[in-house]
Order: sequence, then C-alpha cells, then structure tokens
Amino acid sequence: MRSYWFGDLDEGVWKPVPGDIPLRAGRVATLRTSLEDFIPLSWEDAVSCGVCTTRTEYIAALREVCFFAAEQEIRERYAGKDAELLQMVRTLDEMDTVINLLSERVSEWHQVRHPTFSRKYRKTPAHVLVKNIATKGRGALGRTAGQIEQLGVARTDLAREVSDRANRVMPNTSALIGGLVAARLMAIAGGLLPLSRLPASVIQVLGARTAIFAHLRTRSPSPKHGIIFQHRRVHNAPREVRGKVARVLAGKLAIAAKLDYFRGVAVPEFLDTAQARIDAVGIVITRKEEP
Amino acid sequence: MIRIGDVLVSRGEGGVYGERMLGSARVWDPYRSKLAALYYVGTGTELAPGMKVLYLGAANGTTVSHVADYTEVVYAVEFAPHPMQDLLEVARRRRNIVPIMADACRPEQYAPLVETVDLLYQDVAQPDQADIAIRNCAFLKEGGTLILMLKTRSVDIRKTPGVVFEDTVAALKTAGLIVREQVWLAPYHQDHAAIVCTKPGPGYNTGEEP
Repeated sequence: MRSYWFGDLDEGVWKPVPGDIPLRAGRVATLRTSLEDFIPLSWEDAVSCGVCTTRTEYIAALREVCFFAAEQEIRERYAGKDAELLQMVRTLDEMDTVINLLSERVSEWHQVRHPTFSRKYRKTPAHVLVKNIATKGRGALGRTAGQIEQLGVARTDLAREVSDRANRVMPNTSALIGGLVAARLMAIAGGLLPLSRLPASVIQVLGARTAIFAHLRTRSPSPKHGIIFQHRRVHNAPREVRGKVARVLAGKLAIAAKLDYFRGVAVPEFLDTAQARIDAVGIVITRKEEP
Repeated sequence: MIRIGDVLVSRGEGGVYGERMLGSARVWDPYRSKLAALYYVGTGTELAPGMKVLYLGAANGTTVSHVADYTEVVYAVEFAPHPMQDLLEVARRRRNIVPIMADACRPEQYAPLVETVDLLYQDVAQPDQADIAIRNCAFLKEGGTLILMLKTRSVDIRKTPGVVFEDTVAALKTAGLIVREQVWLAPYHQDHAAIVCTKPGPGYNTGEEP
C-alpha cells in the first residue's frame, strides 16, 4: 500500500482522506514511509483520488495541511519549560556585556570632564562609580549613567528569576551546581533535551569552546573545566586536583540532566549520593595536603 | 537567469528581507545567498518557470523567496522553529512555497508530502551532508539536478576544507551521481563550496563513468 497526504493507494484503488485539515496533518505525522521502494507522489494521483481537480487546488490544499502542521509543531517546540528559560539566560548574559561596556564608556566620559579624576588607589567598584556619575553628572552623561543603574536593577531581578525558574525546570542539576550555572549549561547546550543527551566529558568543558578547539587543533593542553568552574568546589579546589573535581562533578551533572528531562522532579536518593561523592573528592584532597 | 547589467535579480513582490530593488526586480545578493553566489562564480543550473524544487535547509526563507520567483513550486524543508516562523511568513505571501517543518536527515517524514522534483537544492549545516543529499535524491527525477551547498566547517572542523570538498565529491560520484560542476563560493562565502550534479537515468547518462 502507498500512502500520501491526501489518501492511500490500495491494490490499484485510491482511498481519499477527508478534507479536514487537522485530520490530514495528524495523519501525515503518523505515516511511516519506507524509502526502500518509495514512489514519489504525482499530483495527478490526487485528482484520481478525487481530492482536487486542478494543480492550483492541489497546491492550495497541500499548503493548508503544511501550514497547520508547522504551526502546531512550532507551538509544541516552544511549549517546553526550558524554551523561555533559554531566552532568559541569554538575555542575562547579554545584559552583563552591555552594562560592562556602557559603564566603561561612561567612566571614560566622566574622566574627560574631570581632568584630575583617577580610579587608581581607590576601591570604588564600577557600579558605585556609575551611581556617583548618575547623581552628579550633568545632562546626557548623568542620564546615561542613570539608565545603566536601572539596567543593573533589572539584571538583578532577572538573575533571581532565572535561578528560581531553573530550580523548577531542572531541579536535580540546580541542586548540584546552583540555578544560575545550571541554566547557563542548559543555554549553551541549546535546551534541556540536548543537555540531557550530552556525555559528561562534554558537560565538563561546556563554555570552554575556544580552549577545546585550540586543544584539538594544536598541541595546547585540554581545558579541565568550562562554566562548571563557577561551582565553588571546582574553583576552590587546589590546582592539581581541580580537573578531578570537575570530572566527578560533570559526571553527576550528566546524570542529573537526564533525571531532569525524563522525570522532571528532584530525586533525593540520587542527590544525596552525588553530593557525597563530590564531597569525597574534596576529602581526598585535604588528606593529601595534611602530611 | 535574469540579470540587469551585471546584477542578478528575480521578479516578484519585494520587501521580504529589505532587499534592494531595481525597478520592479529584486536584487539577489551573492553575499547573503549562496545560490546567488553560485550564479556569480559558476554556472549552476537555469531556474525555469515550470520547475518543481525541493529546498532542504530553507532557514528564514531569504533564498527561498528568490527561487520561488523563478519556479513553479518550492517545497521548503526547515527543522528549527525560530527560522520556521519567518519562513511561514514568507510562504503566506508567496503561494508557490510549500513550507514543511521536518528534518532533512529523515526524508521519510515528508515523503507523503513531496512530489518528484526537477531540482534538489540543499543548504544544511550537518556533518553528513553528502549522505543527506543522496537519500533525498529519491525525490529527484531522472536527469534532474542536485545543487549541494557544502558547508565544509559543519562536516568536520578538524579537516581542511579542501579535503572535505574532495571527500564529498567522491561520495556523490560513488552514489552514482554525475558531478557537473564543483566550485568554491569565495569571495562571497568562506569555506563554502557548491557541487552541481545530475541524477543519471535512461537518456541522461552523459557517458561519464562514475
């Protein structure tokens, strides 16, 4: 039997599918066509099948089915809880970049207005400087600095929201490494499903793209960690065992991501053993250091 | 192909992506479209009014809109939801585009929708581009043309683009296709090449043994 979007050909007899668009689209999604002895349809088949009379009609009917299927598919793909989180993380990272760039520019502008100004020997953090400029600066400079400040407030709010949402969407990964870093891992992988499919070795170096490709191309050493470096157990570990900690953590994260995608709820038994295992690496380290 | 002076154009409703217009003709920019680049650096194949085209990797519908200006119908296959939204918008205004949301690696997904085509055009960022093209040749008529836009960097970042190019051409020849043209798309696109093939069949075997 040959099956196409408009009907089936069974023993030389065409059986049309009713003209209902959702029904036709749904049927196409379930058809399993083998390309082994595949015969592509010709639009005249649709005429023999009785679903249309002209070429224009055929294309119009097909387009309706395809539009319906595509719009439905897009809706389904965006319905995943991770789709919005992905956009939030990327917005957050972009905001950081923008805030840093603008702060630097505003401070240079400020220096021009105040020839004696210097940041040397002062411990003024960038955001405090921006605040000062915002209150004291005249005209466009003050207003720009004010905008940067507001952007900073929005950024803090967004960071909190990202963290909260990550705790809900990926509870296991978040429990191991914190909501923000978990969300970043997901964003780099391109979603929760892609992340859950990654091997631990890749998760370990996610975010170290330049270093890993430099390693593959040249003889430079391989990176030990990507953004999981932001986890305190990794960046607090002594240099010589940092790679080991990163590897164990990445291994547990790979499992956590799979749990998050396929179960979607926190699994306490796993989290307890995983935390213990990651801590154990730390204990070995301290013992090494003692003698 | 329609050219005004040296400028490649297509005739159709403008304003799809802010393209420049020459009178009523839409300028087809070789820096934005790889197919346009092919018409500047090589010959490609003549797009004709009666042609049916299967377009894999339709993306935002930029090149698709130009192809649709020239041909009878374009089956545009795209997998990612984001560019698909743009493609649908383009297809709403151009009634000869059939937008299909499916994975070009799985032709069986859209086999019930696509008829036999005269031209198979492929521009996908996948490692197994030759294999995808060969499997999609099931939709190509005998004597039909395959244009494969090879993204060498998507195949294997560690291999030099030249090696990837040769390997792909060899794979296509092994599959029985007749390679008519193979060109790099420089200076318009870096590390991208175009391979133009003919699917052999009775009366279309040009005597060149694979």
